[in-house]
Order: sequence, then C-alpha cells, then structure tokens
Amino acid sequence: MSFAFTVRCAGFGAILSVLASGGLAPAAHAEDVTLTVWSHEADEPAKVVFRNKAAADLEKSHPGLQVKITWYEKDGLYTALRTALPAGRGPDVFYLEPDQMHQYVTAGYIMPLDNLVNWNQIYPWAREVWQENGKTWGIPQEVNLNVIFYNKDWLQKLGVSLPANQQFGQAAFLDLIVKARAAGMTPIAQGVGDRPYPGAYILGEALLHKLGKDDYGKLWAGKLSFADPRVVAVLTWVKQLADAGAYPKDFMTMKLGESFYYFYSKPGALMLPMGSFYSGRAFAPPDKGGQPADFPAGVMLFPAMDGGACNNCETSGIGSSFVINAASKHPKEAAAFLDAMSTPEMAQMWINDVYEPAAMKTTAQGFSGPHAAYLDAVMGSQKGIEYFTGMPLDVIQQGQCKDAFAQVLNSAFPGGLLSVDKAVPTMNAACFGH
Amino acid sequence: MPPALDTRLPESRGHRGAASRQSATDGWRPPIATLALFLAPAILVYAGFTAYPVVRTFYNSVHLVGPNGAAEFVGTGNFSTALFADPVFWTAVRNTAIFTVVGTTVDVFGGLLLALCLFVKVPFTRSLRVIWFLPVLMSYVVVGIIWVWIYDYEWGVVNLLLRAVGLGTLAHSWLGNPDTALWAVMVTHLWKWLGFNMIVFLAALHALPAEVLGAAELDNCGWLAKLVYVIIPMLRPTLVNLMVLSFVGKMMIFDLVWIMTQGGPLWSTETVSTYVYKRAFDWNTFDLGYPSAVAVLWFLIIITFVVVMSLLLRQRDRLEF
Repeated sequence: MSFAFTVRCAGFGAILSVLASGGLAPAAHAEDVTLTVWSHEADEPAKVVFRNKAAADLEKSHPGLQVKITWYEKDGLYTALRTALPAGRGPDVFYLEPDQMHQYVTAGYIMPLDNLVNWNQIYPWAREVWQENGKTWGIPQEVNLNVIFYNKDWLQKLGVSLPANQQFGQAAFLDLIVKARAAGMTPIAQGVGDRPYPGAYILGEALLHKLGKDDYGKLWAGKLSFADPRVVAVLTWVKQLADAGAYPKDFMTMKLGESFYYFYSKPGALMLPMGSFYSGRAFAPPDKGGQPADFPAGVMLFPAMDGGACNNCETSGIGSSFVINAASKHPKEAAAFLDAMSTPEMAQMWINDVYEPAAMKTTAQGFSGPHAAYLDAVMGSQKGIEYFTGMPLDVIQQGQCKDAFAQVLNSAFPGGLLSVDKAVPTMNAACFGH
Repeated sequence: MPPALDTRLPESRGHRGAASRQSATDGWRPPIATLALFLAPAILVYAGFTAYPVVRTFYNSVHLVGPNGAAEFVGTGNFSTALFADPVFWTAVRNTAIFTVVGTTVDVFGGLLLALCLFVKVPFTRSLRVIWFLPVLMSYVVVGIIWVWIYDYEWGVVNLLLRAVGLGTLAHSWLGNPDTALWAVMVTHLWKWLGFNMIVFLAALHALPAEVLGAAELDNCGWLAKLVYVIIPMLRPTLVNLMVLSFVGKMMIFDLVWIMTQGGPLWSTETVSTYVYKRAFDWNTFDLGYPSAVAVLWFLIIITFVVVMSLLLRQRDRLEF
C-alpha cells in the first residue's frame, strides 16, 4: 500500500463526507434564520399550544425565520443548559425561573433585555422580579399565587365551614386535620418525590405570616436564626400537623403530578396547597390526568398564625419566564419571539387557556372560558393581600442552604422524620450566617 | 498452470512457509500516514470522550472553576473542604461503603447460589434461568420506576402482601424512611444484577472438568465439601473478576438511586456519585472544581481498593485442569 493510495482513500472519504453532510443540497437563503428555543413544561398541553402559537405567529410575520422549540422537563432542561452554555452550544432563547437568575447573570450567560423587548406589555411588578444590578434579565409569563385548593364537598361532610375571610386560624386548621384523619380522609395531598419545594408550602406560608415580610426574607437570606422563638413556634405547629397525619404516608415518594391526581381523583384528599399553576395540570382532559369535570374545588388562604406579623401576606412567585442567551447570534429575533409571547392577545390566551394569572398585560375585562370560575375564585381570594415575591428557593442563594431546605424543611420535617430540636440546628448549620 | 504438489514433510513445509512470510514482511512497513488514518478515528474518540474529560477533571479539582471555564488555582483547598468540612460528603461515603460491601457480597454469592441451583438442575431450571436473568435486560430507569411502585405505601405490592398476611403493622414507606431507604434501593439493585452474576457463574461451572468433579465423587466427597474444596477454588478467577466488577459498579452507583430517591430522605441514600452530580448541577453555581475534587478523591479510593482486592485475592498457585 503506497502513500498515494492512502491519499486517494482519504480523498474519497472526504468526498463522501461532504456528500453526507449535504454539500450538494440546495444552498440555504442568506436571510434564513433558525431561532432555537429550549422550553420546560412539556407535560402542560395548554402551555405547549401557547408557545407554539407564538412561534407560528412570529414565523408568519418574519418570512425566513424559523423557530425550533425543544421541549424538556425542568431538571433535564437545567442540566442541559449547564453543559451546553459553557460549551457555547446553548439555544438562543431558553426557559428560566427567577431563582436561577443570580448564577446565570454572574456567569454572563444571559443578556439584559431592557432595550430589547417591549416592556409596555409586561406588568412592572412582574418585571421587577427579574431585575438585578439595575438591569432586567428575563421576561416573565406565569404568576403564581400560593393558595390551598380544597374539596368543598368533603369540607362540608366534616361539618366545617370556611370563615368568611377564607382563612382558618392556627388551632382551627390543626383541628381540621385531626377531624379529616378521624373521618378516614387524607387531609393534605402532597408529595416531594420529584420537587424540592411542595412539602414546605404550609411551613413557608406559616413562617411568612408569623414573621412578616422583612424577617421572612432575612430567614432565607441567612440573617435570622432558625432558633428564633417565632420560627420555633411555627415549626412546633407544623410538627403537630405532621404528627396528626396531615400528609399521606407516601409523601416522600409521591411526585408533584401524582399529588394532583391524588387530590381530585384517587384516592382523594381534603386539601392541596399549591401555586396557582394548579390549573396547568388540573384542567388537562380527565383522561390525561386532569380533574373530573364536576370536581368541587374551592380556594382558601393559608392559615393565620397566632400573633402573626402579617397574616394577610402571601407568597407570589414568577414562574415560567424566558431569557436570551448572551452568546446568541440572533438577539433581535430572540427578542421578537419574547414579544410575540407577550402581546395582549397572547396574555388573554394565557388566562383563558392556561387558567393562570399572567405577567403580561391584557386589555380584556374578566375571565372567560369553561374554567373562568376557577380564576374568579383564585383572584377573589386575593382581596387585601400583601405579597412577598419569591418562593424560599427563589430567595435562598447558597447551595448548602438550598440542599438543607430540600432535605429538611421540604421533606424530612413535614414527613415526621425530624423533631424541631434536630431541624433547627441542621438548618442553622446550613443557612444561618452564611 | 496448476501449482506444483509439495511433497515435503508438514514440519518443513510449515517452517518454510513461515520463513517466506517473514521475508515477505521484512521489507515492508505500513506508511505512517496509513496508520494514522486508520487509528485516528479511534484515537480521537478516546482522546475526546475519555482522556480529555479525565485530565480536565483532575485540572478542575485544584481550581475554582468560574463561568466559561475561567479557573482560579486553589491547590488542595477543594480536597481539604471535602475531607474536613463537608458532613454530607462523609454521609455519602458511608452510604456508598455500606452499599458496596453488603451489595457486592450478596450480589456475588447470591449469583453463585442461583447458578448452583441451575447447575444441579432444580425443577423448572429452564424457566428459572430466563426469569432470573430477565431483570438484567431491563434499563435502570424502568427497574427504578417499577420498584418505586412496588414500595409505594398505599398500593405497593410489598405493603399489600404484608397487609394480606396480617402484618399490616410492618407496612411503611420503605423509600421514605431513612432507616430502610438504602436497603430498599439495595434490594432493587440486587434484584437487577443477581442474574448477571448467575449467568457468568453458570458458564464457569459448565466449563469445569467433569473428571475432577467425578474424581471427587469417587472419593466420597459430600456435596458441601465438593463445593468448598473443589468447585469454589476452581471458580476463583471468575469469583475475583465478578467481585471487582461488582465492587466498582457499586462504588459508582448513581442512576438507580437518582431515579428512586435522589439521595433522600435526609441524605440517607446519598451516594458519592449523586452528591457529585448535585454539587455540579443542583447547587446554583457553575463551579465544577469542588465536584471534580470529590470525583478525583473517589477515583483514587476506587483504584486503591481494586488494587488491594486484586492483590489479596489473586491466585498464587495456578490451578490447571
């Protein structure tokens, strides 16, 4: 075998490679742009339809532009981003939530949007959540309001009436849990099998009520000790709930989606503490895991705490949001896609089809559609409410504290595996003073 | 023209043939370019997907790795943090050690036991061989999901059976209790891998010389004595290889734990691999330095144990049969 033969082989191989890679395919138009988008919420059909419509609208108004959306679940998306972005292979636009903002801004992976998108379409308070270092980094879509969904028929069966302000007191709520258990009902459908936060809904809101917004923020920022008597009082109350059997026995392994089904279908539960993104799963068709058409869902506020500093406080969070990759070669097209998802018409579609409060402004008055009553109930419960923006995991910045939150306050403590005496030092060791 | 008939003795023919082949290759060396061309794909794949990540992990382990790969040298800082200031790391080490020691022992000797059952042809041998080997063919994801269901408190098979036989008080959340979660994951792991060890042992058992086993029987050697003094010594190389393989696999266990418990509850199933993943991808930081240091530490520990195991278990007197 000679060198010349080798070269001929190599040359032939090279030709084959060129052919295989489409070298003889028709050349693309110079103005053609493919905008890549990575989105979470693959399992929420209404949101998939919403974003696909925005993409289709944009393609129609921008000939030559193609929007390619890749759908993920959240964990998979975040893992993919963490490997793709440092390698310079990230998408132009991607889904992100505000709890991730700090690290992405620090890393320089997302670009400021202040001068890129049309902020007249977004509520200023929702925009504020995405601000850091005086710049705005993400465009919000979903507004979460933390409430407790409950089964009206079951509450009636227990002979309990919801107070006019839709909020039980501390003792009454504990009594409700005890009564439900005695009647053979699961009081609260909740599981932490695949999420680091649902187990702490009751605890988090109780802490917010007891401490008020400022001290509550300090607690998650590591500036208030978990040994503070007010925190200990709340932990003691939550421990009483857990010991009274508030949560299902498979609390540790139940997944978020399963907890919805548990609540409104089988085996059923009295309550489901959840963000208002409840609708994303609940209003899917019943044969795809949605709630039965005649399910008597009601909305109540989280219980008031004895001596609470702010019993009319409530956590509101910004959920679904999108950002632009700082390395994107098509920032204008990317911004156009963000704008296309934020028009008043799209905002109305979000409210009517996704059934969630929107961060985008809409001109329409009231709600319509088959589940309008749901939004009326959620929004009707919000009179006189003061909002604390951000779930605990949005506010905690330090990794060790986040991990301790997920393991202790989200799962082991409400799961009844830890006493207050053990939970306090564990949380302090991970969070306080860091 | 037909070739002339070679009437020389085979030995001389073979010798001559070898010599002529040797002389034919003496004057020819494959061109470097040809070698490079054929080796390049494999070398590139190896360098890109094996060598570079390993070297990069070692490099990262002594750096604080910032965004876009920017690195600040921190020397042994990451290692000392892991060893002296990180309780979760030590919890993960303890869990992994329990998982590895218990798992390897049960895995290997359980596999041997199943293989012996099939070797002595217990009833339904053919069906049992298929049934016991089937889990090996399933993916970890499927196995993990199935066993999460099996362990479910409300409707899982384990608790349903306990309730059915009047032991309902023993029913509990197997994966939700720190006292049972690690063992529950381990049972699942063993269920999946026993069949693999069984099939390897079965092949080794069938390769044993019938004369030796027959001679043992002629010497009135009982079943247990034959197992201990004849079969197991002859299976020793297989045993050692399976132990090392099983040991390494369990030291790196990740997927099953991640699917079933994600290291919870309360870090009771946290393994070193799940912890490395969490530190790398779940800690709201792009720093890969610390997780790389933990990975390097663990790599060195695994290598040390494998070498020690191989030295301790190696066969000094070679058995010939």
